[in-house]
Amino acid sequence: MKRPSTRGRIAAALVAAGLLLGACSFEEDPAAGPGGGGDSSFSIAIGIDLDTLDPAGQTTTTVQNVVDYVVETLVEERDGEVVGVLAESYEVSPDGRTIDLTLRQGVTFHDGTPFNADAVVFNLQRITDPNLRVPLGAPFEVMESVEATGEHSVRIVLSQPSPIFMKALTLTTAGMISPASVEAEGNTYDNYQHPVGTGPYTFTSYTAGQSLTVTKYPQYWGEQPFYETVEFRIVPEAATRESLLLAGQVDMIILPPVADLRALQDNPDVNVILGESDRSIYIALDTLDPLLSDVRVRQALNYAVDKQAIVDNVLFGAGKVMDAPMSSALFGYCSTGSYPYDPDRARQLLAEAGAEGATLELITPSGRYVQDQQATEAIAGYLREVGLNVTVGTSDWGAYLGRVNAPHSEDTVDMHLLGWAPAILDADQQMQMFRSATHPPTGLGTAFYTNPRVEELLAQADTEVNEEVRGQLYCDASRIIWEEAPWIFLWTQSFPVVHSVDVTGISTTPTEKFDALYARPAAS
Amino acid sequence: MRGTTAHIVRTLLLSLITLFGVSVLIFLMLRVLPGDPARVLAGLDASAEQVERIRAELGLDRPLVSQYWSFLTGLLQGDLGTSARTSRPVALEIAARMPATLTLAAVSTLIGAVAGIAAGVVAAVRRGTVVDHLISSVAVMGISMPVYWLGLLLILLFAVTLGWLPAAGADEPTSIVLPAATLGAFSTALVSRMTRASMLEVLGQDYIRTAQAKGAPPRTVIVKHGLRNAFIPVLTVISLQFGALLGGAVLTETVFGWPGIGRLLVDSINARDFPVVQGLVLVYALLFVLLNVFVDVLYVVVDPRIRY
Repeated sequence: MKRPSTRGRIAAALVAAGLLLGACSFEEDPAAGPGGGGDSSFSIAIGIDLDTLDPAGQTTTTVQNVVDYVVETLVEERDGEVVGVLAESYEVSPDGRTIDLTLRQGVTFHDGTPFNADAVVFNLQRITDPNLRVPLGAPFEVMESVEATGEHSVRIVLSQPSPIFMKALTLTTAGMISPASVEAEGNTYDNYQHPVGTGPYTFTSYTAGQSLTVTKYPQYWGEQPFYETVEFRIVPEAATRESLLLAGQVDMIILPPVADLRALQDNPDVNVILGESDRSIYIALDTLDPLLSDVRVRQALNYAVDKQAIVDNVLFGAGKVMDAPMSSALFGYCSTGSYPYDPDRARQLLAEAGAEGATLELITPSGRYVQDQQATEAIAGYLREVGLNVTVGTSDWGAYLGRVNAPHSEDTVDMHLLGWAPAILDADQQMQMFRSATHPPTGLGTAFYTNPRVEELLAQADTEVNEEVRGQLYCDASRIIWEEAPWIFLWTQSFPVVHSVDVTGISTTPTEKFDALYARPAAS
Repeated sequence: MRGTTAHIVRTLLLSLITLFGVSVLIFLMLRVLPGDPARVLAGLDASAEQVERIRAELGLDRPLVSQYWSFLTGLLQGDLGTSARTSRPVALEIAARMPATLTLAAVSTLIGAVAGIAAGVVAAVRRGTVVDHLISSVAVMGISMPVYWLGLLLILLFAVTLGWLPAAGADEPTSIVLPAATLGAFSTALVSRMTRASMLEVLGQDYIRTAQAKGAPPRTVIVKHGLRNAFIPVLTVISLQFGALLGGAVLTETVFGWPGIGRLLVDSINARDFPVVQGLVLVYALLFVLLNVFVDVLYVVVDPRIRY
């Protein structure tokens, strides 16, 4: 067998490598110039890959944000009011059980299908179909029937009055997709990957793990957006998103590294939006635990922690200390009280309860919420200051959820950190956490808190159609909950968005979404 | 050559048993992992009925043996199942990300092989000199520096400060430069150390002295008599490194937003997406088996004395 000389082969390999490297490093990069401006393309760096594009199937705000470019809802919430989008107007009957929708006329889906009453009926039936996985579908389960009462009018009948139902219709979950599209573009009814809606942009392409692009829909019924295309780039590392923005390779990013917030705020090339969010971060206390069932111990834990210092130094300002068991962005919020930092008071309460030197286990997720693990370490430090013996643990989200969502009989942990952001800006979803009906494994009442008076107030609020009365009911319940401290009330987290100063028209919503649909170049 | 062919066939047959073992192991490991996939998928506020429904939908309410049987029979028909998280076919999820992983692994291994061998040979030949010490120190740095950190530094320099290269993504031809350089730095360091050690051993052999004594030019002595005989351990290191990269370089992929299978694996483990994790691990095992066979053949090509 004749073999080529070794030298010849090595030389060939070197030449090949040289060519490859040369090709890589000397090619000019046309797209690396500053983004935005007049090039009619807008790019946004997001942190997670898109697991689904089905409005009914999604569970995360980032996916909602993307889907919202393509798919619209019947109504939206603006300054606390539910106003029409695809429904021009709506009317709720005095008993709160019948809703009549009048639809916008002359709207077509991106595939040419007319938007009409049949499309609405199709979509509302789809999100209540028990055979379809609709993770955020709970608020729609009160729908008893939905029927077309004309070409452009729909009647929804509820099994009981539901004050939050109209707000639920603002959720991306209730987005209107073209009925024809569930059998086109490779979609099926229960595996919907190519969304077709009525929105200002049409879905163009998705490259797994990399990016998603949408393109302007010329026949859009409403105001045309500025940019021809919008690209969402999937960049899981926060520091890399920040670099992309600083290098001018994207126009906007969400969730920069919080440690860099101050440097970004000082940077004249970018704007930082510290969006208010309705996500409350708290440490749920196991109120069925012999030690923690004593309200004095729970109050002591609240007094022991200097929350403002943690927000300032660990969260770098990306949060606001809570003064109620819910965010101020929710309907039903009222400023309820405060637990000022008072270690002496904490020690005294612990002494009264005979809980000095008690041993408590505290667990936290890692990387799910802003500085979650770091904040937990700081909290544990404060609790040790008042003489408690606190151990801190963490695990990945799947295992964590398994632990905190287990029934109380199964090794319930003393204290665990969680964050909760109601998708509907209403106390209803927040208050679920203080009801016995949602004690794990059924729901997220992971503090196992029960109070008969609170149950009563919340049950009344469930069906109260008078908004003023309903707000007061939540406020009353809040005061009891605050006093009884089933949680260490921490802070509501901020939702940071950073964009180039070359673009404008960007804001955030309290549901941790960005609103950049009508972003445009800044006037220069 | 007949011995080699028989060896390959034997290895491939044996690897079927390996793959079967891997399939059982990964199947069981996933099921003892804490965390309920149905609960993770359903979300924090799902009702018990919703969770139950998803569990049934994923088939997780069936006995383990029956679940494994479906997995195995699907596998034999070339069906890896459907992702629990995205509802897309597992094979498609993997296929969409495999090219990115293969490209990155190949380019960074090439960088590591070429630069590493060159540096290692120079260090060995100039043993004890400043050049040797310099190369060795840089190599130690290259091995010790976390890829995560090096990656961010490279982004800061080449994307933010100089503006020459994309900071992340894979949509431009130049996108691969930074991630490949990051991974390549590690490989280069590893390969250069192995080359140096192996070369030093060979250069001390009698036949090298003989070659020098009979007046062969130094370059011939180093490359033909030296490197060729020192090449087997180097080849082993390169192939192991390439094999490791085939599994996806999770940190590098994360830092550079590179759409490879490493990130898919981590995302899928976090979401307890059993079908995707199973599929990925099996594909990876298969690739590793094939790579081993390929390297066995390469050994014979490099050193014809090797017989199986």
